[in-house]
Amino acid sequence: MVRRMMNEEEQRAWFGFREVHETEKASLVRGVFDSVAGRYDLMNDLMSGGVHRLWKASMMDWLAPRPGLHLVDVAGGTGDIAFRVLDRIGGPDAAAASGSSITVCDMTPAMLQVGRDRAIDRGLLGHDWRIDWVAGNAEDLPLADRSCDAYTIAFGLRNVTRIDRALAEARRVLRPGGRFLCLEFSQVALPILARLYDLYSFRMLPLLGQMVAGDRESYQYLVESIRRFPPQEALAARIAAAGLSQVKFRNLTGGIAALHSAWRL
Amino acid sequence: MSERRSTVDPKLLEILVCPVTKGALIYDAEAQELISRQAGLAYPIRDGIPIMLIDEARPLDETP
Repeated sequence: MVRRMMNEEEQRAWFGFREVHETEKASLVRGVFDSVAGRYDLMNDLMSGGVHRLWKASMMDWLAPRPGLHLVDVAGGTGDIAFRVLDRIGGPDAAAASGSSITVCDMTPAMLQVGRDRAIDRGLLGHDWRIDWVAGNAEDLPLADRSCDAYTIAFGLRNVTRIDRALAEARRVLRPGGRFLCLEFSQVALPILARLYDLYSFRMLPLLGQMVAGDRESYQYLVESIRRFPPQEALAARIAAAGLSQVKFRNLTGGIAALHSAWRL
Repeated sequence: MSERRSTVDPKLLEILVCPVTKGALIYDAEAQELISRQAGLAYPIRDGIPIMLIDEARPLDETP
């Protein structure tokens, strides 16, 4: 198979708390997002009580996108991050005037369709600025070397099979001087908050998933995958190991989520 | 792409590469495919969205 040039030995990956073969994870994850695409953003609001909006606003504050940039947003199919970046650089007309462009790259075409439809509904297209929707895997980005000024990934890295490979791809597509920013669930720092959060996420979230999206298992996966993701310091070390510099992180809401920032120098 | 879903923006083609080889792609407007000769793969464009997934690509030795 052409699929991937990987060594022959058995490669294991985590799908939530289930250990699966590495080659299976991508299609399992895609199944989750195919299943939830239409209600993904609504579910984010319900699950986080709207707090994910504050986290994404923090992400935009730290990113401080400048007009004229080419940004790739990975795993951002529904356009949520892309539209926030567009807003920060002053909307479609300002984006057109400054030659800004955004490429949204997501492994799940169903998510991209939701995003593109949303862009049309919001009247963001036809302003002579560029937003492109591309299906691609974070581990094998279909973008040229050094083609991006900024790389963002929000709640996506957790779902990637081989994180280190995705980080290496992030570095590859960034120009020297380009910015990496990752928003992801992380490890809660306060013990009391951690216990409450455990109760909430393991009991409530799958139930909410069932009620709102009619899909308990997909949300069960989301909760489990959060717990398996490397905590703040470990992720920072892996970002640095991928060749990105000046790695820093900020906890959000006591560490329920964290932002990791780095630069390609 | 925004105006006519059946065409791919030439500027997008400038930055898109084959995810396997990172080499250039040839746009086949008629077949709605992006072809990577080096990898021997043709990536479909569905509803204006390039599907740059190795699993979904058509090996070039097969007829479409």
